[in-house]
Amino acid sequence: MTYTLTRVEDALAAENARYPLGERQRVEDPMQQQVHRSVFTGKLEEVLNSTVNWGRKHSLWPYNFGLSCCYVEMTTAFTSPHDIARFGAEVIRASPRQADFMVIAGTCFMKMAPIIQQLYDQMLEPKWVISMGSCANSGGMYDIYSVVQGVDKFLPVDVYVAGCPPRPEAFLQGLQLLQDSIQEERRPLSWVVGDQGVYRAEMPSQREKHRDRRIQVTELRTPDGI
Amino acid sequence: MSVVNPELRATDPPDHRVGLLTERLRDQFGDQILCEQATLTGMPVFWVSRRALVEVLTVLRQLPEPFEMLFDLSAIDERLRSRRHGLPETDFTVFYQLLSVSGNRDVMLKVALSERDLSLPTVIPVYRNANWYEREVWDMFGIRFEGHPNLSRILMPPTWKGHPLRKDHHARATEVDPYSMTVESQETEQQALQFRPEDWGMQRQSDDTEFMFLNLGPNHPSAHGAFRIVLQLDGEEVIDCVPDIGYHHRGAEKMAERQSWHSFIPYTDRIDYVGGVMNNLPYVLAVEKLAGIKVTARIQTVRVMMSELFRITSHLLFLGTYLQDLGAMSPVFYAFTDRQKGYEVIEAITGFRMHPAWFRIGGLMQDLPKGWDRLVQGFVDWMPARLDEYERAMMDNSLVRDRTKHIAAFDTANALAWGVTGPNLRATGCNFDLRKQRPYSGYENFDFEVPLGNNGDVFDRGQLRIEEMRQSVKILQQCVNHMPEGDYKADHPLTTPPPRERMLEHIETLITHFLQVSWGPVLPANESLQMIEATKGINSYYLTSDGSTMSYRTRIRTPSFPHLQQIPELMRGGFVPDLIAHLGSIDFVMADVDR
Repeated sequence: MTYTLTRVEDALAAENARYPLGERQRVEDPMQQQVHRSVFTGKLEEVLNSTVNWGRKHSLWPYNFGLSCCYVEMTTAFTSPHDIARFGAEVIRASPRQADFMVIAGTCFMKMAPIIQQLYDQMLEPKWVISMGSCANSGGMYDIYSVVQGVDKFLPVDVYVAGCPPRPEAFLQGLQLLQDSIQEERRPLSWVVGDQGVYRAEMPSQREKHRDRRIQVTELRTPDGI
Repeated sequence: MSVVNPELRATDPPDHRVGLLTERLRDQFGDQILCEQATLTGMPVFWVSRRALVEVLTVLRQLPEPFEMLFDLSAIDERLRSRRHGLPETDFTVFYQLLSVSGNRDVMLKVALSERDLSLPTVIPVYRNANWYEREVWDMFGIRFEGHPNLSRILMPPTWKGHPLRKDHHARATEVDPYSMTVESQETEQQALQFRPEDWGMQRQSDDTEFMFLNLGPNHPSAHGAFRIVLQLDGEEVIDCVPDIGYHHRGAEKMAERQSWHSFIPYTDRIDYVGGVMNNLPYVLAVEKLAGIKVTARIQTVRVMMSELFRITSHLLFLGTYLQDLGAMSPVFYAFTDRQKGYEVIEAITGFRMHPAWFRIGGLMQDLPKGWDRLVQGFVDWMPARLDEYERAMMDNSLVRDRTKHIAAFDTANALAWGVTGPNLRATGCNFDLRKQRPYSGYENFDFEVPLGNNGDVFDRGQLRIEEMRQSVKILQQCVNHMPEGDYKADHPLTTPPPRERMLEHIETLITHFLQVSWGPVLPANESLQMIEATKGINSYYLTSDGSTMSYRTRIRTPSFPHLQQIPELMRGGFVPDLIAHLGSIDFVMADVDR
């Protein structure tokens, strides 16, 4: 598997640096190198990494942040019929300092963008971003003077959830995709262990993964029945 | 394609009071009243001179049946408009729409401005809610209002260059360089948003205390979206506050100037984004007025049914968040469970949950599916018991009552002065519901009551919405029992999209169908306006057609904008928890404020 590496020191802001901060480079799995170095430490790190990642992905605390319509569907995912607690992500935090991930649920406005950036900066590592809905993904149907054409113009995004707005189920699927990607991550196990980089797995595109099955569909349900 | 009729059609219902009003204004102001414009807005439209504007407004406010409310104020960039025979020369037109609740009528005043001299006297001394509207006109068109206390940008960032609703301002984000943010520009933008009390005439300290300025929002759990309000505090007491909006401005009005009449419908869904197809209604009704389309009873009834379903889901969202803001965690879980039931019905009928964009010009997207009545009946049977439970568990709760009774209370006169409409107005005891006062889309055929409050406080605003849901359930039941038979598309050349069967007759019908689907329909040049009783108050669309496939100007008047403007007056002297309770009780979404 290939990874995207962001080094910690690169993420420190220099004057005139452009968002998203940090150099990203595609690299091979660092574990492979570890294995070559020593069989035992390699194994140990792998066990530790997957244990820590397992813990992280099952207790993701979302930041209580919403912009527009998508936030209503996101809230719907938090309430009883959809119950996000099944995935360990029900502990909504009102402060970015206590949150693990931020869902950009709604349109990213130019007036709001500097504020979103500040809130993101206030979150502590490890942190992730889910872009929810067409507006956050790409500007969507709002190609208009006041809207940033996709939140990834200034934030690093981990998962994109399609829809306008996405159904609560789609958001929950996005959350599970984030969990899958967290399971594959390689982060420093301590400030003295190994290379101090954050390795994010390049996860397979869902569109490509499901294409074969989706194009098999030849008959769509007619809309005149329920 | 239909033939564009250049003649303006006059409004039909003859109202003798209009004649009296015209006479009265002509007697008093003579040639200061430049002309009376015939439109399809359903109200008299007078062009007045700039000099006489404030006086005319003052007279209208003091008539025996006064125009108590400045319902809307905005402008039109007329520089590119070609079909406006017989109207005064103008580059920019500012219009003032007044509403009389006592007389149940409206009037519109228009003032012509030349590009070289874009200024007007402020009308805040006559209508205090003009404050934000004038700021919006300054922000969007660059028209100055002399005497305004703080004429600053309201929707766009303070660093913005240009005035977006001018015809020469770019519409698309992709017409200019892609957005990028640097560490430095982020800092500059944040600095520009910093609050300076002096700009708002506020003191930093009094004789015996230094005030604290608390910035609440634009991201705060109880601010219901991207809304910011800066509080001047003496301990827990709110001395004054300044709401700051514009963090949710999606440029819907500019968008309307580049989408076809048909393809703008999905954008209306996202104005009051919990109102769903209810938002389509004023728009399609206004377009149908322009096109002269009369729809069937079935279309009317289905539209009412879907709108009322959305009224219920919107009010449920209100109820859950209102009580959550007061500190009760569970209600939101109950309310969202019921919303889910509502969405099951909505999705089965329209195919989507929040923004179905299901109404069409001259009809609906499709007919009701087989078995719809069983689904709606299931929802109608489910709701009443739940509503009783909510009332018992929530509104009878002594803690809720203590937190909400007599908090942020205002009377009818105050509500009208600030442009407050909908349930918030009715909570003051004012019986003004457009579904009764000016029935549209066949509401006159339904049997329902208009619940009223007494005190106009946070409690009444909550209680009233539970009662409104009961009435909506009653309307749904009548829809199930008496759904008329008929077509789901009106028989009219401008019905969009046209019925497919008509396309298959010969090449001419095929071409017509193709043009109407690709270009969209061409609507006759005229102006029309439709108000409806939306979930949060009166929502109206004021459309100006220049005889093209797109709107020349679409003005969207939303109820939440004035509701937020009223906050400072209510909160002075209150406590921070009262402010939170009041924010919860207004029932606003930011898209309905900033559009």
